[in-house]
Amino acid sequence: MAAFIVTILIISSISAALAALLVLCEKYVVNYGPCKITVNGEKELNIQGGKPLLTVLRDEKIFIPSACGGRGTCGVCKVKVLDGAGPVLATETPFLTKEEQADNVRLSCQVKVRNDIAIEIPDELFNVRQYESVCAGIEELTYDMKRFSFELKNPPSIKFVAGQYVQLFCPKYKGSNEEVYRAYSIASDPNANNRVDLIIRRVPNGICTTWCFDHLKEGDPVKMNGPYGDFRLSQSDAPMIFIAGGSGMAPFVSILHYMQNTHNNRKVKYFFGGNTPKDLCLDSQMKEFEESLEGFEFVPVVANPPEGENWTGETGLVTEAVQRQFKDLSGHEGYLCGSPGMIDASIKVFTALGMPEEKIYYDKFA
Amino acid sequence: MKQSPQEKNLEAMLRSTKLVVGGFMGTDARHPFEVVEQDTAELERLGLRREQVARRMQELTERAKPRLGNWVEAQAGKLRVKSEDFKGVLTCPWPHPGVFEKRITTAERLDTGQKLSWTDLNIHMIESHGFFEGRGAFFRIEPGEAVQILFEGLTLSQK
Repeated sequence: MAAFIVTILIISSISAALAALLVLCEKYVVNYGPCKITVNGEKELNIQGGKPLLTVLRDEKIFIPSACGGRGTCGVCKVKVLDGAGPVLATETPFLTKEEQADNVRLSCQVKVRNDIAIEIPDELFNVRQYESVCAGIEELTYDMKRFSFELKNPPSIKFVAGQYVQLFCPKYKGSNEEVYRAYSIASDPNANNRVDLIIRRVPNGICTTWCFDHLKEGDPVKMNGPYGDFRLSQSDAPMIFIAGGSGMAPFVSILHYMQNTHNNRKVKYFFGGNTPKDLCLDSQMKEFEESLEGFEFVPVVANPPEGENWTGETGLVTEAVQRQFKDLSGHEGYLCGSPGMIDASIKVFTALGMPEEKIYYDKFA
Repeated sequence: MKQSPQEKNLEAMLRSTKLVVGGFMGTDARHPFEVVEQDTAELERLGLRREQVARRMQELTERAKPRLGNWVEAQAGKLRVKSEDFKGVLTCPWPHPGVFEKRITTAERLDTGQKLSWTDLNIHMIESHGFFEGRGAFFRIEPGEAVQILFEGLTLSQK
């Protein structure tokens, strides 16, 4: 029996040692030589092989969105690899649907560049930049939401479309030894292009929000990259309904600034939901928008107004308030930002009231 | 105890802060398998299995979800629950597919005021791995406390 156990231990140890040796050789000894990455059939990048595609592209100033910093745990860094990537790895399959796999979509952090490859990425990613900034202000909005303002230093300005987001770099801190990126919608005026405002809600035990709320101070240097995303106003003049809850407020603040800048007087009714009045915020800013935008109306909705508090506004869920105020939404467009549950419930209500699905635009927390 | 390379990797992942602040083991010095064994034994002593706990947590989560972060009564006059969605996802530390929306459900006993919070990942880890997280971890669930809060007042057939 003892001999059997010793044999198993020896075999296990040898296997572990060989696996470690392979990893070390892959990292320090194997030379894959020069490789070529063809991007969108046009641009060619000549690089040294051996690194993950995500890292190689980042070194070439092409930023693919990624929340976990390339460890294969978020599934965000998807890229279409047309040729040269080898088979899909077991580490990728949890994050890729069958359709995506059939369409050659891969996680760029898991694809190692060992030979020439061809990839396809959205053109807008060429406009994404890495920004160095300084935290210029922190404003408490509610008991669990803050607005963080960042003054851009290098490069000193950003060009973005209202509704887009950036990825905020979260460094290591006490309790978190990992560097991560997290996506947050820009909440600032696109014309004030030397700064970026983010509205962030604390996530219990969240890596990045814990850093933002408990460690980040005014004057601290902060890195971010962006802009990303295609959530934006359509070019039509159809009346609109906005629905948001919590930090879902952010893109709408930016969109309202944009409407103000462009004298856009489309009709908008903005339903913002909270459980109690304590969850509501930016009331005075919304009043200013109401004064300057002819077609804009802000409708705060409180699910549970506390007894004794003189709440005279809409009550219940935001979706219930929409149902009370509208009977036919067939000519409207819907814009949603918030939790998956709220977005799914809002889409149901919109479509039941006749809004075509293709007229519903949303930015789902993920 | 001799560990296989896979077990070593798993323990390293559970103790690391790669996926959650403070890691899944918190300040618990015990081996993860010891945590699982001792929590399973505690549950057995209380007359329940981990599948029953996970099922009850899932049932309460489903009850709360449609109210989008608002309290809903789950047991008349005795228990209420709410479920809140946050930005992001939670990934299972075990080496298999498992990505969950960041949803936190809280159950509160109306008679004692005791509260218990869990994520969808907690439900999965309890059901599939028998893992209630280590002591000191943010979402550690004490089996005894879970039984007290989630099952008090239920008949045997309701469990």
